[in-house]
Amino acid sequence: MPVWLREHSWRQTLTAVYLSLPLRGARATPANIFCSEQYLKVSIPPFLFEAILYAPIDDANSTAKIGNGNIFFTLCKKEPAMWDSLTLANAGKEKLQYLRENAVLKAQEKAKEETEAKKITKQEHKKYTLEATMKLEETERKRIEDLKEKERQKVAKELEFWKNQQIDADKYKSIQKKGELHQETEPLKERKKEKMNKTRIPSEGTSKIRFKSTEGHGSRSIFSQNLKEEQLPAPRAAATITVNFTPRVFPTALRESRVAEEEEWLHKQAEARRIINSDLSELEDLKEEERNPDWLKDKGNKMFAMGNYLGAVNAYNLAVRLNNKLPLLYLNRAACHLKLRNLHKAIEDSSKALELLTPPVPDNKNARVKAHVRRGTAFCQLELYTEGLQDYEAALKIDPRNKNIEKDAEKIRHLIQETTQSS
Amino acid sequence: AAAGLERPQVVSHVQQALNYTVFDCKWVPRSARLLCLGSAARGTGLVQLYELHGARLELLREMEKPKPIKCGTFGATSLQQRYLATGDFDGNLNIWNLEAPEIPVYSVKGHKEIINSIDGVGGLGIGEGAPEIVTGSRDGTVKVWDPRQNDTPVANMEPVQGESKRDCWTVAFGNAYNQEERVVCAGYDNGDIKLFDLKTMSLRWETNIKNGVCSVEFDRKDINMNKLVATSLEGKFHVFDMRTQHPTKGFASVSEKAQKSTIWQVRHLPQNRDIFMTSGGSGSLHLWKYEYPAQRSKKDSEGSEMGVAGSVCLLQNVTLSTQPISSLDWSPDKKGLCVCGAFDQTVRVLIVTKLNKI
Repeated sequence: MPVWLREHSWRQTLTAVYLSLPLRGARATPANIFCSEQYLKVSIPPFLFEAILYAPIDDANSTAKIGNGNIFFTLCKKEPAMWDSLTLANAGKEKLQYLRENAVLKAQEKAKEETEAKKITKQEHKKYTLEATMKLEETERKRIEDLKEKERQKVAKELEFWKNQQIDADKYKSIQKKGELHQETEPLKERKKEKMNKTRIPSEGTSKIRFKSTEGHGSRSIFSQNLKEEQLPAPRAAATITVNFTPRVFPTALRESRVAEEEEWLHKQAEARRIINSDLSELEDLKEEERNPDWLKDKGNKMFAMGNYLGAVNAYNLAVRLNNKLPLLYLNRAACHLKLRNLHKAIEDSSKALELLTPPVPDNKNARVKAHVRRGTAFCQLELYTEGLQDYEAALKIDPRNKNIEKDAEKIRHLIQETTQSS
Repeated sequence: AAAGLERPQVVSHVQQALNYTVFDCKWVPRSARLLCLGSAARGTGLVQLYELHGARLELLREMEKPKPIKCGTFGATSLQQRYLATGDFDGNLNIWNLEAPEIPVYSVKGHKEIINSIDGVGGLGIGEGAPEIVTGSRDGTVKVWDPRQNDTPVANMEPVQGESKRDCWTVAFGNAYNQEERVVCAGYDNGDIKLFDLKTMSLRWETNIKNGVCSVEFDRKDINMNKLVATSLEGKFHVFDMRTQHPTKGFASVSEKAQKSTIWQVRHLPQNRDIFMTSGGSGSLHLWKYEYPAQRSKKDSEGSEMGVAGSVCLLQNVTLSTQPISSLDWSPDKKGLCVCGAFDQTVRVLIVTKLNKI
């Protein structure tokens, strides 16, 4: 419940009302005062003062002075008349309500209008400043342009002047040359003949050719050319310098990317998975899992690890019959054959694996290295050392950092040397 | 703004729209004529000869060749002859007499793939020694040719047998201060820069700047090698001080990152070897000045000499086009006059002012 402030005092003239409202210690700010045409409210929680004025006032011109513990209102009457009392006496509750709301609305509208007006003036100011700055910049730019134009014209003139100089100089030179020519032809011809007889083949040959081709041109070029030629060194002795290039860690984006080949490889793999040679009658005897080449490959790997090479070979064989496009099957079978010393079969399988491992991409790098190594081993065990070395070097090329391959390659090289020496 | 106007200005004098892709543009020495080399839409090569007349370029002659032409140089020809040496997309090196351009004066199928870059030395009255042309190609080899010797190069720098090749993108001659000395510098697409000494026929120095090397140039071909600028992809260029070679560290260098895009070309001003211009993939040109350090060499901890690199400061930059400016050439006769060709099929003649005041 607000505390009503009732101890107000007022007096009036024909045009204004002076109202003094003591504040009982509360501090007032302009925000606490609300005034409209016929309604005045001062609300400083918990204090409240409210008055419905006797007659409308011009609230734009009215003022309120806050100080000394009270508020002093100077309200300008809209119509100059003497009021019977400050407030409307028999103001019913509804009228009060209505007036209040009205007042609030009116105040809001006024506030809106004010902000609108403010905005418009602000925009106008902005526009004006913009135009002013633009004008300034224009003048600046123009000034610079003019200076540049002047430079340009000056420079163009200089250029013309220089060009004319060139043309004159050329003309002068050609006239001079003609004059000299007539004087010089005789003694020069003599000298030239001497030179021809003295110097041996190279310059003689070339100067002869020169004569033939330049006979049409002014003779001056022949003579000056000839003289200069005597001073020029002979063409360099041909030689070749070999260079190495710094390898790039990150190849240049699209120029060197192997995108196309990688796509091909992935595509191939996907296809290989999908092939199932399902035309074998024995298939019906097999269990579900035994028809899965991957499962068979795993089985084979396990048997290889345990040393059961024949079993592993069987597993791989069945897997191959089911799907003959998986390179890893051939690769692993080659390893088994190596252990079983079926060297020719090992070579066959490694070769088949390599065939399937095209195109060469970083993805199948390891597989290719293994294939080469296994084939190389098989060759060496068959004493075909050169072929073996070829495979080892191929493996090294793919994976230059593998020390074992390097060592083995070295060994093979030694073996080859020894056999050639002894034979 | 006032201070800005005291710096050298790049003034665009003439702009000529072409109806073909221009790969190289060169001034004809001792004249106000320039050549544009490129590739026509139907896959043939074009050589156009223009003359500068006031504010426009007048087409004097147009020559069509069977294969698109990538690069050309006047470096190995005498001032009287002014023969143009060109490398084309098919790996052919041809030398043309522009007065009689139907049959080349010299022709050889030097490389298996496009010749990316060509340079010549020993001609134009600059330097001494035999006239030679060097070509660098996508097949990874760099070959030096003598126009007096047909069919075989006088030097061949090729990758080791069996090793994968890297494209050679740029070549430059240098150190040709007497009859015997000469070096060739080659830049490759993997960032390798190799310096070949032609007197000893050996590899003198190599380094790798991580990004593909688009252009190399010595500040002067005919002096004891002084500076080498190498530009690369991703907006970087390196300036090497070539006077002092350390046994392990090689040459000292300073590098600068100028633009976000590839720096296609670097060209030194013929009249001042410390000023050079770089052209970029964003269509901009930057004019740089190199400042030497107080001491050009110092001793390291073991007592061997090593070089000290100086610093580079940007004098001016200007954006002329939205497409890369792939070729740039200063006129050897008029200081500040240069021509540049861009991939928007225009060739522009520019004048750089106030170079005397640098």
